[in-house]
Amino acid sequence: MSVFITSAHHETLSVCRARIAHLLLFVFIGMVSLSSIIGWVTNITVTGVYEKILANGLTVAPNPFSAVPELYYARNAVIYVVLIGTLMAIVLGVQATLRDRKSATAGLILSRPVAVSARVGGQLAGLGVVIFAVLAISMAISWAGISIITGAPLGSDSTFRLLGFAGCAWMLLMVFAIIGMIAGITSKRETTALLVPFALWSGLAFVIPQLGTAARPVALLNPVPMPEQTGGYFDVLSAITGPLSITEHFKRAGSILLRDSNVSGSAGSSVAILLGFLVIAVVVVVLVPRQKLRQTLND
Amino acid sequence: MIDLITVAGKELLDLRRDRLFALLISFLTAVTLISVTVGAADFRNQLDAYNLYVANLTTSGSGVVPAAPHLFPLQLLRSGIEYLEILGALFAIVLGYGAIAKEKHRGMLQLFLTRPVNRFAFALGKVAGLSMIWWVVVVLLMGVSTISVVTIGGGAVTGTDLGRLGFVTVFIWMYLVFWSAVAVALTSLSASHSTALIVALVIWLGFVLVIPQIGDTMDPDNQVPGGLFAALNIQKPDEMAVLAHFSKFDSIRNVLEVSSVTKHFERLSFALLGIKDQYNQQPIPVVLTAMLPYAITLTAATVVAVVFAGAASTRRTLQRKQS
Amino acid sequence: MTAAAIRTWDLCRSYGTYQALTKLSLEVPRGEVFGLLGHNGAGKTTTVNLLTTLLEPTSGRAEIGGRNTVNDAASVRRSIGYLPENVQFYDSLTLMENLRFFGRLSGIRKPDARIADVLRFLDFTGHENQRLGTFSKGMRQRVGIAQAILHDPSVLFLDEPTSGLDPEGVRILRETIVRLNQEYGMTVFMNTHLLTEVTKTCTSIGILNHGHLVHHDTLVNTLASFPEEESLEAIYFQLDPAVAP
Repeated sequence: MSVFITSAHHETLSVCRARIAHLLLFVFIGMVSLSSIIGWVTNITVTGVYEKILANGLTVAPNPFSAVPELYYARNAVIYVVLIGTLMAIVLGVQATLRDRKSATAGLILSRPVAVSARVGGQLAGLGVVIFAVLAISMAISWAGISIITGAPLGSDSTFRLLGFAGCAWMLLMVFAIIGMIAGITSKRETTALLVPFALWSGLAFVIPQLGTAARPVALLNPVPMPEQTGGYFDVLSAITGPLSITEHFKRAGSILLRDSNVSGSAGSSVAILLGFLVIAVVVVVLVPRQKLRQTLND
Repeated sequence: MIDLITVAGKELLDLRRDRLFALLISFLTAVTLISVTVGAADFRNQLDAYNLYVANLTTSGSGVVPAAPHLFPLQLLRSGIEYLEILGALFAIVLGYGAIAKEKHRGMLQLFLTRPVNRFAFALGKVAGLSMIWWVVVVLLMGVSTISVVTIGGGAVTGTDLGRLGFVTVFIWMYLVFWSAVAVALTSLSASHSTALIVALVIWLGFVLVIPQIGDTMDPDNQVPGGLFAALNIQKPDEMAVLAHFSKFDSIRNVLEVSSVTKHFERLSFALLGIKDQYNQQPIPVVLTAMLPYAITLTAATVVAVVFAGAASTRRTLQRKQS
Repeated sequence: MTAAAIRTWDLCRSYGTYQALTKLSLEVPRGEVFGLLGHNGAGKTTTVNLLTTLLEPTSGRAEIGGRNTVNDAASVRRSIGYLPENVQFYDSLTLMENLRFFGRLSGIRKPDARIADVLRFLDFTGHENQRLGTFSKGMRQRVGIAQAILHDPSVLFLDEPTSGLDPEGVRILRETIVRLNQEYGMTVFMNTHLLTEVTKTCTSIGILNHGHLVHHDTLVNTLASFPEEESLEAIYFQLDPAVAP
């Protein structure tokens, strides 16, 4: 069995045994599943509110909520991927590379005939399998949940859209898992290894989008991406920060795939940016110098 | 008491040379400055758009000029407060975690526990040290924010505004001490360092980001762009009458929102800074009276977290080893 | 002529301005149990790291079984076993899962049969499905030896192998090293502080003092060279003034 496959297998096995990974996976799957139920309860309530307004003769307008597509119920999954999914991916990534430094097995592994790219690439592939499995479970629950809510199985178009959304989520989460892996390799302390990717995440999810859109941090917790600001310095800044706002691109691609009427256009450019980020991150992590992998950890 | 002061003093010395701490504080300062700059630029954009609109009106011969957008300087701090809400809490957790984890890792804990010290001296000394650090950081941060509002934002800050900022400073401090104390308690209780940090982060995620987000999602008025009631042209009294029929749903939503200490902190700060329209330019006593329940709950939450840190840090829990 | 198991020529390693190892020239013939002694910071671990390809020398060169540790590192890695000091392994995985992982990394495609042989050799059967989180320090050290010999290396490197072990653990380890050497002809290179273990286990010794090799000879010759000294400990203190009491 090659080093790549051995490392991938070892990584999935280690994640499956780690209690903390279970906690994060449980929270993520639970929240993504819950988002369908929250959407459903809210829909029933809003429809009830509209019917009450109609019965009281306060409006003659059609129910603005009646034409929502069935995938509307999964729209909150977009934000849970950005919030919980990325946290999970960072922790998994950090633990993957920190594990060998903490248990002092890094030196042992590097004394074997192991190419760094195969070792790190294998670990990354293992994480990819875990993240894929988590997303597959979440999407299966969402699919079943929405089918129950709407009273009919989701059609092929909606199913493919859900799968496309899961694909985008996988790319985003892999980017953050790699950021975690790099932090796990380069940090001198475990605290720093966890904290630096979080600071980076907050920069990518809040600060960079804010520079180009003037959106407040809490407004960026909305599943719908913020429109870029125009005029003044925003013209220049949004051109620079736009491509870097990876979480906003994910929100945009996700919203389009889930048929959110607030977002229009094609998801192609956003998907391309996500893919670009992933490719760059993969190249950076597999090219890490051999000596870096066995740096001693201070705490 | 002397034990407690000794532990707190040592914590201050430790953090003074901690590069990670310096990094966190620099990051918080940077995002605060960025948010004021972006807010000011956004306001200038609105003003430019207004001037253009007025010029167009004048050209077209219209005599009706709408009111110009008015800059309320303290409102420029909104994003800064939101960053403290999210990232400040995160960094407070990291500092609280680090204060206990480093002692466990270095084996200094056993040394400390063999000294004739008070049972609460270790945890409460740590929390006291962190509280002092946070006080200095928050005062400096608010100072920088105020200066940036005047210099970058171009707003004038009055004596009353400084009074508002003073109260907000105290509430920010309490909020950050709350999160540091929670992290101290969890790290003391947990045998594994990384588990403690990750559990604390999951709690942070839940209370700071997810619960308020669910609350917002469940608001019927947030379901349609621009608001459901505005879209249907429903007046406020009718809106209230209709919503009265859905009080159960609304109370669940409200319970979710108020279960997060972050929301309490946010409502307090937004009211004092005039970000919430109904409290804008209101006298401080009026705002404080209206916000008294939130001030009480935030204070109580902080006290409970500190007590939790003290109670959780027993000799047994602190020496618990990972199996 | 058969190449020596380990050979170095003027091997140097520095960290910034700190010279950890200076012009180490050493030859360890095949079938030896070589003990490298020295005070803390003498350069013992640096030497093992250089010989196991974990570090590259600043100057000089080293060969394991005639293969260069820099130019032919992959080949060297296939021929050596290594047990670092204080290695923890993966607590959440079972003994079998840990050994399978290291076996596969060492190029064994189907390692289960070989693992069973090694565990029998080490008299360590019955724990295969137990997670390492429940293992004592002594048991972990046997896991360490097991992973190091799985791929039947010609040279085994042990860095402070007795560190933290109780007397029973030390005895088991000593017997294992001697058996590996005598039954399989494995060359063993170990760093250690325990001079009594060196006396009982090693066939030749080297002493490092601040990065310089100040003594290298067989144990028999070393003891014979100092007939007036009662023990290896007394000889060691004479040869390594840095640690003299």
